[in-house]
Amino acid sequence: MKKLITILFICFGLASYGQTTINPDTVCANAVGEQYFVTNTPTSTYNWTITGGGGALQTGQGTNSITVDWGGVTGLYPNAVEVIESNAAGCPGAPVLLDVFVLLLSGNNIGPFCVGDPTTALVGNPAGGTWSGTGVAANAFQPSVGVGNYVLTYTMAGCNTTINVTVNNGPVTGPIQHF
Amino acid sequence: MKQILCILFLLWGISASSQCVFNESHVISPGGTYSPGQTITVWYTLGAFNAINTNWIHAFQINLGVGWTNLTPLSGPANPSGSLGNWTWDLQHTFIGGLNFGPGWRFENTVNTDWGTSSVGPFIISFQVTVDSVCTAEDLSISIEVFDDCTTGGWSNGACCVDPAYNIYNGIIQITPTITSNINHF
Repeated sequence: MKKLITILFICFGLASYGQTTINPDTVCANAVGEQYFVTNTPTSTYNWTITGGGGALQTGQGTNSITVDWGGVTGLYPNAVEVIESNAAGCPGAPVLLDVFVLLLSGNNIGPFCVGDPTTALVGNPAGGTWSGTGVAANAFQPSVGVGNYVLTYTMAGCNTTINVTVNNGPVTGPIQHF
Repeated sequence: MKQILCILFLLWGISASSQCVFNESHVISPGGTYSPGQTITVWYTLGAFNAINTNWIHAFQINLGVGWTNLTPLSGPANPSGSLGNWTWDLQHTFIGGLNFGPGWRFENTVNTDWGTSSVGPFIISFQVTVDSVCTAEDLSISIEVFDDCTTGGWSNGACCVDPAYNIYNGIIQITPTITSNINHF
């Protein structure tokens, strides 16, 4: 019985205070309205500071929840989000910090292709993401999908970028004539 | 000869450091530890004052730790069968002998301004005081000192009363730490 109570207590504790956002947090380049929050104490006030990453606090200063717009320069920004809670007496607690990695994705430009061209590998930067779209299989584009314009999407950690690929008709050659 | 010296020494000792206050007691409400912003009420009773060397009681000084603020007097001591005059609340007063007094009640004798009152009590005082709204665990001690008019300098007839401050409370402000959860990102 004691073990059960202990397990329940630990689980409750984790649910109440455990961090669900892994440090560092990853955000997409140029993301807007990203929400950050801590557990609210109604009598407390919260002072947030955003540092680096082109981040700018948009709403919620003084409360337990804010929104932030991020810049477009990829990189890891230590302690980019900081909050200091002050209780009803105005006594501040210890700063709570979160590192932020701004993720900017790009993909290689390929094409234009002809229908008969061979399958071409798709390269995303940074590597490790997943390509999707018409004519994509195993992170490679197959021009055999047919004539047309295609939008291919590269996805990683909830961020994505796109490239446009064109497949043209091959030349149509008539029969050989003899004058 | 030794016996005589011993008796003389004993008598001198009683005269040099005599206790004049008796039967001190107090009530403090609420009891226990205290947090910023909390107000308490203190009642202090001096059951009897022994006016040794005709040293009359002259003042009750309230000694507070730095963690207290907003000291408010509620009721001063009575003057049963005492001299002409009245007890006055004062935040600060310098007695004729140079004693820097306050805050507390001091007796203003209307016949001889430098004397206390011949009353032997009992005396009851009460006051309220509030825990300061600070973030650090400041001192919350409370004690009462009783001064006779020998100590204050208005009367000289041998040794003054020597009574330690009566301790009412010892403790520090209870600070609840501000604990913030980790930052989460939707």
